[in-house]
Amino acid sequence: MAGISFFKSIRKVIGLGAAIVVFSASFASQAHAADFVTTVKDDGGWKLQVNGEDFFIKGIVWGYSPRGKNFSYNLWAESDDFIRKVLDYEFGMMAAAGVNANRSFTVIPPKWVEYIYREHGIMSVINPLMGRYGASIGGKWVPFTDYSDELTRATLKADVLEVVEKYKNTPGVLMFALGNESNYGLSWSSFEIENLPEGEQNTAKARYLYSLYAEVIEAGQKIAPNHPFTIVNGDIQYIDLIAEYLPDMPILGSNVYRGSSFTSLWADVDEKLDMPVVFFEFGSDAFNAREFEEDQLAQAEILKEQWREMYNKAAGNGEEGNAIGGFVFEWRDEWWKYLQTENLDVQDTNASWSNQAYLFDWAEGENNMNEEWFGITALGTKNSDGVYTARPRMAYDVLAEIFKMDPYTYKKAAFNQEIDNLNMDLYALKGEVRQLKAESKEEKSRLRFEGGSLIGELVVKGEEESIRIDGENALEFENGQMAFLDIGFNPNQKISGQMTINILGNVADKEPLEIAYGRRALPVDVFVERDPLPEEAEFLPPDARVQDTVTFTDRERVEIYDFNAKYEGDEWDIEAFYHTPRYHWKNEGDFFGLVRETTDMAGQDIWNAKAPSGVEFAGKAGWGEDMKILAGDEVFWGANPKVILKYSWNWGRTEFTFMHDEDIARRGDSASATAATDIQTRRTTLYAKRDFADGWTLEVGGIFASNEKIDDTFTRYEDGVIYLDQIEDEDTLGARVKLSFPIFGHRTWIGGHYAGLVADGGDILREFGIMDPTMIPYSPWGNKMEFDAGMNITFGNVMLTPRVMYRENLVDANPSIPAEINPNPNLGELFPGVSPRNRDDDPFAVLDNREARSAEIFLTYDPTGETFFYDWDNDFKEDAKFAFNLGGNYTEYPTATDSFQFFSLLSNSNAAFGVGLPSENVWSASSRMVFNPTQRNKYILQLKGGFQQSTGDPDGGTREFYELHGKVILRNKHIIEGYFKKDAWGPYDFHRQFNVIFPEQFKLDYSVILDGSGFQPRETRGTGTRVGIRALYRGYDPEDEKTFGESQDGLSDYRFMTVFYVEYVF
Amino acid sequence: MNTAYRMVLLVVTALAVSGCNERDSNDGEVINNILLPTDVVLNLFCPDVGIKDERCVLDDPENPFAVVAVLEPDQVPEDEDGNPLADDKFALANALPPGPTGAKARFYLWATALAGRQTGENQWYTARALHELYDANSNRVFEDELIKEHAKRAYRSVLDNFYGQATFGQFGDNSVPFQLNEIVARSIVFSEEETGWRSLVGSSLEGLALLGEWGYTYNVETDLLTRIE
Repeated sequence: MAGISFFKSIRKVIGLGAAIVVFSASFASQAHAADFVTTVKDDGGWKLQVNGEDFFIKGIVWGYSPRGKNFSYNLWAESDDFIRKVLDYEFGMMAAAGVNANRSFTVIPPKWVEYIYREHGIMSVINPLMGRYGASIGGKWVPFTDYSDELTRATLKADVLEVVEKYKNTPGVLMFALGNESNYGLSWSSFEIENLPEGEQNTAKARYLYSLYAEVIEAGQKIAPNHPFTIVNGDIQYIDLIAEYLPDMPILGSNVYRGSSFTSLWADVDEKLDMPVVFFEFGSDAFNAREFEEDQLAQAEILKEQWREMYNKAAGNGEEGNAIGGFVFEWRDEWWKYLQTENLDVQDTNASWSNQAYLFDWAEGENNMNEEWFGITALGTKNSDGVYTARPRMAYDVLAEIFKMDPYTYKKAAFNQEIDNLNMDLYALKGEVRQLKAESKEEKSRLRFEGGSLIGELVVKGEEESIRIDGENALEFENGQMAFLDIGFNPNQKISGQMTINILGNVADKEPLEIAYGRRALPVDVFVERDPLPEEAEFLPPDARVQDTVTFTDRERVEIYDFNAKYEGDEWDIEAFYHTPRYHWKNEGDFFGLVRETTDMAGQDIWNAKAPSGVEFAGKAGWGEDMKILAGDEVFWGANPKVILKYSWNWGRTEFTFMHDEDIARRGDSASATAATDIQTRRTTLYAKRDFADGWTLEVGGIFASNEKIDDTFTRYEDGVIYLDQIEDEDTLGARVKLSFPIFGHRTWIGGHYAGLVADGGDILREFGIMDPTMIPYSPWGNKMEFDAGMNITFGNVMLTPRVMYRENLVDANPSIPAEINPNPNLGELFPGVSPRNRDDDPFAVLDNREARSAEIFLTYDPTGETFFYDWDNDFKEDAKFAFNLGGNYTEYPTATDSFQFFSLLSNSNAAFGVGLPSENVWSASSRMVFNPTQRNKYILQLKGGFQQSTGDPDGGTREFYELHGKVILRNKHIIEGYFKKDAWGPYDFHRQFNVIFPEQFKLDYSVILDGSGFQPRETRGTGTRVGIRALYRGYDPEDEKTFGESQDGLSDYRFMTVFYVEYVF
Repeated sequence: MNTAYRMVLLVVTALAVSGCNERDSNDGEVINNILLPTDVVLNLFCPDVGIKDERCVLDDPENPFAVVAVLEPDQVPEDEDGNPLADDKFALANALPPGPTGAKARFYLWATALAGRQTGENQWYTARALHELYDANSNRVFEDELIKEHAKRAYRSVLDNFYGQATFGQFGDNSVPFQLNEIVARSIVFSEEETGWRSLVGSSLEGLALLGEWGYTYNVETDLLTRIE
């Protein structure tokens, strides 16, 4: 059999090779220069011509956005085979409807532009966005493009000309279009602009935009004289500036949403510009926000009238004669448009803006434009090729009929008659039948099943000592099965939500090497007392009881994994959430970090933690506008049950935010396995921020916290004297100031933070968010006077980020000085001694808020600023050939800490380690490197090393460790990831908390994605159907008593585990 | 933004973070030497002081041990050679003045230990201290019914909450375990023989009746206590 398979394979390879040769030869023989596209004007008006033939643009705005993906999905990173399947499906349907051109927001690679043209006869508009949504300028990502900046102008111009150079000879290119409604995005601020009267500021900015367009078009036209250049303007705003700066532009491109008619646009353009007009976007959504249901008829009617008007305005029909066609927005619904990063596998029905021109569902004060419903086809399920299908709406059929006609070959009366004769009832029926068929296949009802996954695994594990004694019989075999079922609901326009149910079969016990979601159903032994049986009683003392072990194996097989429901009202939005990611409020005035981010769902799943859990009320209008109320039993991971109120307002140019955080109880268990719970408390903050035009920003905040501790006593030790002190009013107060400003154009900040003994805040926002590699020892706790400063220094593609911090405590940690009693025959005298404080028995403790002097510097090289190196999903998004960071931190801790605590499962309460961490000087260094040798291959390497203390138990001392983490993605399908760690803490938080290290740790995981869904970063589930194998190894130091529990009292040198797994996503 | 305004901002910044209030020798009360109470009159700081779950003893201003880390034997820090660096609760208890002079301090010591770790052993020693105090003030001052009843409650707490637990007593050179429930029973029924202090109940029969009232039967022949189901 093997021989036969081998020859079959050889034949396949030869056949494939031959096909490639024939295909290449056929392309080579057809290779010719690019098409010649131009505009001409005669007495009848303006026309576009391709290779000398009249060409009325019957275009579509096209993009391929699968369910569950958003703007970051890149079709062009998929295999050629898959791309071809997508293009053949999509453009085959378009060609069948008579579409002859497309416009795409992603730049289609030249070979696929040519493929679409040759195979389907559809031409493409090349549309560089020219900084519309930010740009990488001098190696730094600038979110709001400043078109007045010389470096920006030069960079954007060079970028566009590079694109033009690349496409100028590509067959199938129709024209070059620049920007996308860039006139609506003039958001930069500068000293010069801010000094103008408010009404003139935008016009002043627009001048820079249109003058840049003029420069780029002039230069581009020289490179590609055979293609017209245009812009994608937002309607005809700034038409006078267009006339002033772009009088020779061959075509005016515009996005227009004026309803069924384009009204006076034709005449206005004719009068002021005398140019042909192409619409790069127009159309209608297919959702009726009033009726709250799909409305194919309304969309089709509007499109029919829009095309009728365009045909009438085409050359030769006795009117303005300046219509040359347009691109309907859009080919197919995109489910990411609303919220953009959330609910990606749900078609949201939220109308997000209002447009009175769409009367079929417009109502005073209500939004009516549904961003996720603009397709002339709906987003269906996958076909057998893995391509998401397009279910034609009525508009598709209507356009197909209209596109059979050409305004240049049909007489005006004839095409108007044909359009009048369109049997709209028939097309409505066709559309509805298709819709019903699709819905019967995939129930889009109020409560719907949306998919899920099945996971199976087979585990083999063992440890050295047992294997030495029992050989292969000592190997343990486990198997596990798990299912996730996703359910969505959308009972009406205002309420939507989803939930996921988890169902366990058998649960594989992979501990201690891997602690995984599902452990809630692992068997548990419970000790039960009973009276002895008669035959037992004779051997036992009277009244003795017998203890039996009862094993519970059938526990908690089904649970709600997550849940989210949102009500969108007129004045308030209300959202209930349970174990769905939530973000911090630090960018909306939470200067002291009271609301922590909870996005590490995988980390929580290990412990079956279910944060965040609660409800949020967000005011939108009326008295509650700019107010938020957050309440719940765990509104972020580890939180006590609490209520948080936030209210923001502006006073002049200063933003203010007031927050109050009130714990209403203390949580009764640990948020993980051993993380200590925190005391019940309350905090109030006030924050003010003011931005200045030339880049200066001042932020000031005050905090009043833990007033319930006033008069609580504590001891402190100074120069041999023990003091009994108490918390006073001023110990509850704190203040923080941060000033950001440019130094030679480089962002710089300095800050100061004073916090009284119990003025505890929360997590301070790190400069680069959760991916920030900083090791500066920021702390939420009070009892400190702290100064910090930093800079982002950019040189081209390189960014240097130096940071420093200096912190002192108002009261130092207590040393360990034992109590003594000096007995006198009749009179005892007690020297009470002191011991390290802890946060339960004392009003405060010196922990990670300890005295510190810290400095660090990180160098970041990232030539593609759009995919910022510290974005949370940079593993997935980074597209530079090579990007990396390298840096290190050195921190002196000149004093010891008080006692950290852990949560004891035995007592079900916190317990203190009793001793603090000693003074120490520590360091760390790390580097992360991302390689993208090709579009579909990616290598990520991370190196770490350090000399660091534990986060709790000092026993074992400061540890020097080294780690290497790696991830390789091949062909966007094969994922290999793993790590090697030397003398590092184990993988879970409690390992560092208890200072448990292992001489070596090793992990290697290989998986292959089977359904073409591609690699997704940091997703706990739903990365696509895949199979894989994972191997883990952990070595032990036989002398290390901390690992005796795992190493059979030091007899085992190692432990290993192999997991075979399969995940089917449906 | 002009330079003057920037300077103002910097000054405000500096002012905002200055003026913070570090503690010095003028703050707080020096407590290097605390005189232990030698009287025998105990004021119960709260109704359940010295009974499991109640930690109010740590707030009692008369408690000299409120600020002391009363260490269990397993909490005593050791040097690199394994030598203890502090006294545990037994060492502190042994250093207290014997007899009535140290009785009140003993109560505070053990009640503080109980607040730190809820064990039958700590509850037992707290009950004994209350019993000793009752005996002492009954001899010296007056018969304090309140302390007598509180001592009974503390003994009962041993039975109700820590029934199966033991403590260790020194027997020659050996450390010998004692079932707490049995010595509680003897302390109630044979109070004076067992403890050397005045009985909390009057007679052995009354002691047996009290145990019955609490839900236990004590076999004086076998010295076995049984919980009545």
